[in-house]
Amino acid sequence: MSVPSALVWDPAVTGYRFRPDHPFNPKRLDLSISLIEALGLLDGTTCRMEAPRMATDEELLAVHSREYVDAVKRFSAGGSTDGAARYGLGTDDTPIFPGMHDITALVTGATLRAAELVMSGEVKRSFSIAGGLHHAHHDRGSGFCVYSDLAVAIAWIRREHQARVLYLDYDAHHGDGVQGIFYADPEVLTLSLHESGRYLYPGTGFVDELGEGEGYGYSLNLPLEPFTEDGSWLDIHRKLLPEVIEAYRPDVIVVQNGCDGHSLDPLTHLRASTRLYEETIRIVCEVADSVCGGRVVATGGGGYAIWQVVPRAWTLIWGGLSGQQVPNRVPREWLDRWQGEAPVLLPECVRDPGEDLAPVPRREEIEATNRRTLESLRRQALPLIRGYGLGW
Amino acid sequence: MLVSKRMTRDPVAVSPGQSLAEALRLTREHRIRHLPVVEGGELVGIVSDRDIRLAMPSPLAAGDAESTALVSETPVSAIMAREVITIGPWDAVEDAARLLHRHRIGALPVVDAHGRLLGILSETDVLGAFVELLGPAGASSRLEVSMPDRAGELARAMHVVGDELKVNVCSLLVPPGKHGDRRVAILHVNTIDPREVIQALESAGFEVGWPSLETDLRRGGGA
Repeated sequence: MSVPSALVWDPAVTGYRFRPDHPFNPKRLDLSISLIEALGLLDGTTCRMEAPRMATDEELLAVHSREYVDAVKRFSAGGSTDGAARYGLGTDDTPIFPGMHDITALVTGATLRAAELVMSGEVKRSFSIAGGLHHAHHDRGSGFCVYSDLAVAIAWIRREHQARVLYLDYDAHHGDGVQGIFYADPEVLTLSLHESGRYLYPGTGFVDELGEGEGYGYSLNLPLEPFTEDGSWLDIHRKLLPEVIEAYRPDVIVVQNGCDGHSLDPLTHLRASTRLYEETIRIVCEVADSVCGGRVVATGGGGYAIWQVVPRAWTLIWGGLSGQQVPNRVPREWLDRWQGEAPVLLPECVRDPGEDLAPVPRREEIEATNRRTLESLRRQALPLIRGYGLGW
Repeated sequence: MLVSKRMTRDPVAVSPGQSLAEALRLTREHRIRHLPVVEGGELVGIVSDRDIRLAMPSPLAAGDAESTALVSETPVSAIMAREVITIGPWDAVEDAARLLHRHRIGALPVVDAHGRLLGILSETDVLGAFVELLGPAGASSRLEVSMPDRAGELARAMHVVGDELKVNVCSLLVPPGKHGDRRVAILHVNTIDPREVIQALESAGFEVGWPSLETDLRRGGGA
């Protein structure tokens, strides 16, 4: 059964591009949108495309410092880049490029639009596929992220609708920016599942980062061992999410769908398959239906295997959000359109086949460690959430 | 890292004449385990909550008036340790750690040149300092780099990362080598994508530790 849903998209968002050889490559957006279209997953009415708008300065300033936004505008307009390092910009990860303010305001506006469409009741779910810049902080950029479209949209939801927000982050990297911005806010609960920061950037996201002040207990982190596979990841997710939802009772879910935990991703060490992404979004929509009228605002995020993984993962995310069955065969026209450009062989099935990965030698240890991490998080964090144990 | 930066200033203390009951109440109230004993501003002893409890009647025995009176009448001076291991405010936290470790004690009173009590440094304070030292300095990826233990190797590795690739090293830890002629540097680099750094270090002849299915970092030669 298809669900009223909106995919927020305009080709202009692919202008969020640092330099030709940068790993955060907007080509992945073109690949994803064209696969979604080729599979007939947009019907123009129930499951439709919507155009983004620009985020206003006021909306940006709800989460970013004026000094930072002014600095981005200055760099964006070609002004002196002295002192850019202070703002986390002009680095190899997050270089300065002309027009970076406007284009990031558009990406942020896309996620705002996605939030507006859901909160107004026009659709139940929305997908800002270019959004998900979860490393941007209050006063600096970081890890490919200039402005936090996620935090800006969450702040807008809080201001305009006074709704309680559950923020879920499935990117393989810890969602440190969003967590930091709402660290003391008990009306925004952030839950990030990611590869442990023991080695991986940004080096945070451990269980004991629980929030501060009023928000203590409203920042949750589940760091997974490197080489964690679908089974262990889903198992933990299925146990944790209903408990968090039961205690917290959100009004809307904002979910970041980075797909860089896939085994083919070059930047991380997790070993997920496409099954993880299809199942995860299904579970999220299911719990949203049961507690918050089905309201889900989704974004993209990380994902650096741009040819083999991202288009398929995000097509499955869109299928799950819009309640449409995604056919398994990748259409010939899509393969023909892109194979010439692709440096690797494009997969012919949307879903990864079951068992084509070499077994992980330490699987038992990895899974046992993940279970211990889950128990530690449940023990420390769940009792801190106000509604815990009330049974509502 | 100096003791004075890490210690608790003006710690809760008792005088030698205060009773065990009162000392116990202080440890409970302030949730602390050690009480320096001070007379005229000068440190004369130390008691731990464990010392006090050992001197108390068993909670299993029926509490008779006599033993209750004993607890409220016995002064701290009767049980305190008089030979106190102390440290100075200008000493290094590393030295404090070594003292705590060697003497198997839980806290060090910090005294000035005249024996006056300035503060107390607990094992938790020391642990906190080391957690900070070992933790990442801002958003970064962590790598382990194995290199020959000889002059110039560390500089060469830093040259590859900093000069050639212009990637900032946010923190660097190089424990003394234990594996003969090699040692492992643990570095946090300020990038989400360390592939180039790893590749450049490897082409320069270094071994780089980073999660891998082939080599298990926790069992292999890694730090």
